[in-house]
Amino acid sequence: MKKNNIIKLILIIVVVALLVVLPLVIKNDSTINLVILVLLYILLASSWNILGGYTGQTNLGHAAFFGVGSLTTRLLWVNGVPFLLSFLAGGVVAVILALIIGAPAFKLRGVYFAIGTLALAQMLNLTVGNILPEMSYNPDLANYQLLPRYYLFLGLTLITILTAAILVKSRIGLGMMAVREGEDAAESLGISALKHKLIALSISAFFAGMAGAAFAYYHVSFYYYMPFGSEWTFDPMMMAYIGGTGTIIGPIIGAVFFVLLKQLLVWNVGEYHLIIFGTLFILIVLFLPGGLVEIWQKFRTFLTKKTKRRKKVLLKATIQNEDGIQRE
Amino acid sequence: MKARMSIMALVVIISLLLASCTPAPTPTPVATQAPLETQAPTATEVQYPPAPEYIEIGASIPLTGKFGSLGSQVKVGYDYAIADINADGGVYVAEYGTKIPLRLTAYDDESDPTKAVSNLEKVFTENNVVAYLGGAASGMHAATTAIAEKNKVPYLGVSFAWWNIHQRGYKYLFSPFPKSPDQARDVFKALNELVPTKEERPTNIAIFQEKTDWGNELGGLFKADAGPAGYTVAYYAEYAPGTTDFSTLIMEAQAANADMLLGMPNTPDGIAIVKQAAELGWEPKFIMLVRAPDAATWGEATGTAGDSVTMFAGWHSGENFDGIAEINAKHQTDFSRPADILVGPAYACVQILAAGIEKAGTLDRDAIRDAIAATEMMTVMGNVSFNADGTGNVLNPLVQWQDGKMELVWPADQKTADFVYPIP
Repeated sequence: MKKNNIIKLILIIVVVALLVVLPLVIKNDSTINLVILVLLYILLASSWNILGGYTGQTNLGHAAFFGVGSLTTRLLWVNGVPFLLSFLAGGVVAVILALIIGAPAFKLRGVYFAIGTLALAQMLNLTVGNILPEMSYNPDLANYQLLPRYYLFLGLTLITILTAAILVKSRIGLGMMAVREGEDAAESLGISALKHKLIALSISAFFAGMAGAAFAYYHVSFYYYMPFGSEWTFDPMMMAYIGGTGTIIGPIIGAVFFVLLKQLLVWNVGEYHLIIFGTLFILIVLFLPGGLVEIWQKFRTFLTKKTKRRKKVLLKATIQNEDGIQRE
Repeated sequence: MKARMSIMALVVIISLLLASCTPAPTPTPVATQAPLETQAPTATEVQYPPAPEYIEIGASIPLTGKFGSLGSQVKVGYDYAIADINADGGVYVAEYGTKIPLRLTAYDDESDPTKAVSNLEKVFTENNVVAYLGGAASGMHAATTAIAEKNKVPYLGVSFAWWNIHQRGYKYLFSPFPKSPDQARDVFKALNELVPTKEERPTNIAIFQEKTDWGNELGGLFKADAGPAGYTVAYYAEYAPGTTDFSTLIMEAQAANADMLLGMPNTPDGIAIVKQAAELGWEPKFIMLVRAPDAATWGEATGTAGDSVTMFAGWHSGENFDGIAEINAKHQTDFSRPADILVGPAYACVQILAAGIEKAGTLDRDAIRDAIAATEMMTVMGNVSFNADGTGNVLNPLVQWQDGKMELVWPADQKTADFVYPIP
């Protein structure tokens, strides 16, 4: 194994180990809740990124899959179906919805696809609000434990990231990226754009549905229509853009940055948090259009240039020195 | 890829450090007085344990987002009350033999129940709060009251009329605010008192029920209470929140000879209802919309169409209880208008909590909870006591928009203006 890969592996193991032991060391519900919020958004941003970042299809209806997953799991769970079954059903139903709407939706391209998916989420939001206007309560509040919910989110997040990492290196992942770069060009090379877009949508929807299922297990009480709200699409999308779309690390950085910074601002600067966060967001969009991942790339470019310049200066000095010696 | 993984690791490690560190809580900017020093006990005096610097209270309030306008009013009420109590040295706690000032740590939840839950957990674990003060709106309270119950922390909240939330068996929830059964009962009671001649009263009611759980609750109660009070429900229709065209409902109500309208729309829906009713020539004698006219902009947004519309606001700055004049004066200085309708009930929450702590004589949450449950006191919203389910027995004033102003028209001993009837 290369030295680089060993360092990478060690770093990943350290981070995962830290996350695993975190609730055992910091027995503080507030911190665990915050980390759960971060994990939830990593899940949503990473799952959005599979279709939006790697396949180039701007999905403005991600909340539909999140909401369907949440609704399915909560309804089954509160009606006595074993939790594990209810939980998995959340993801499965989201995939079924994705396949049903996928084929007609992918007949639309570009902005029309975005509008179409946005309409789907809005329709579901209104429909669920009309059919199920009541509040859903946790059926077992007395025995509510945060720890299993934390590990559920952690496990799910790790699986999502791992799946995305494997997917982008696979043949299908390359096909997805080919579709993103040029649908017609990809088709001319024998890559079925529809097939790859459907696969990407299904995987993206599955993890969004599972995130919804975990949300249904986590939240004590909420309106059934709440997870269909547009914020569950736009916030993860913004996180992916802030971090850097089309990368594995981008949505993770974006979610961590977005949730933690926003929450720290809320806790420390009160009502002014939106002004400060908004300003930061504008600055990122202006100066780092590729997302926060660009910081490292820019820093590396800067370092490389500096090293090259130094080498050049050293070389020049050596030549001059040698010339001097020769003249003497 | 190595670079990206390094960034990831760095970001996650930093985030963990940030998350695990405990930033100093930002108390709300209320004028808190320096804590009083415990008097040095003499040889014959009882030895008290050292008093904490503050009595910590926590809140998650929607200061931004869709409930921001409600949450901002609630926060002002809390701040005023805490400043007033602290100006007098704080709350006397017998356990420590001294007065201790209150300190509220309130965070904005952006009208997001998930963040509200996170905020309440934070103030619970990091500030060790003895009580929670609620935010605003039913959906937010539904999420946060469950956390109060889980953490066994007394919770006082206003700005929600939803009665069902009190039927969950929660022990720590208290709400000194009129609930749906009060509103359904009082609309007929008020009307019968305000229009004593039976022949002059409206008889046929149209109920426009918003398709929400609270709408369903209140609509059903209107329907159930109408008959015994001498009214007939001539028309009952449901609509989804966000509906923009109410013409079908209005024309059907007209066709059913309805001369009175009851509803619980949100502000945009309420504006659409009264405007479209005026355009279609429907002129009911009496309109009571529970929620929409709460907005300070109602008069401006509806013009003459929204004039004479009534509502149950929960409180009015014109009530004549002790302390209201001072609140109004302060609000006038800060915001150039008398106190908004949620300022009073929020202020009352703090009064009730302070009295509860003093009565309990300790900062033990269960003792405070029991003391609040036994509340029987005068506040800026009148006399308050609680039922076993945590609902409050409070005054439920009927407010009417008159020439762009909210006037209190019922009960008679509190009124600021005569009731305008029928709607001109």
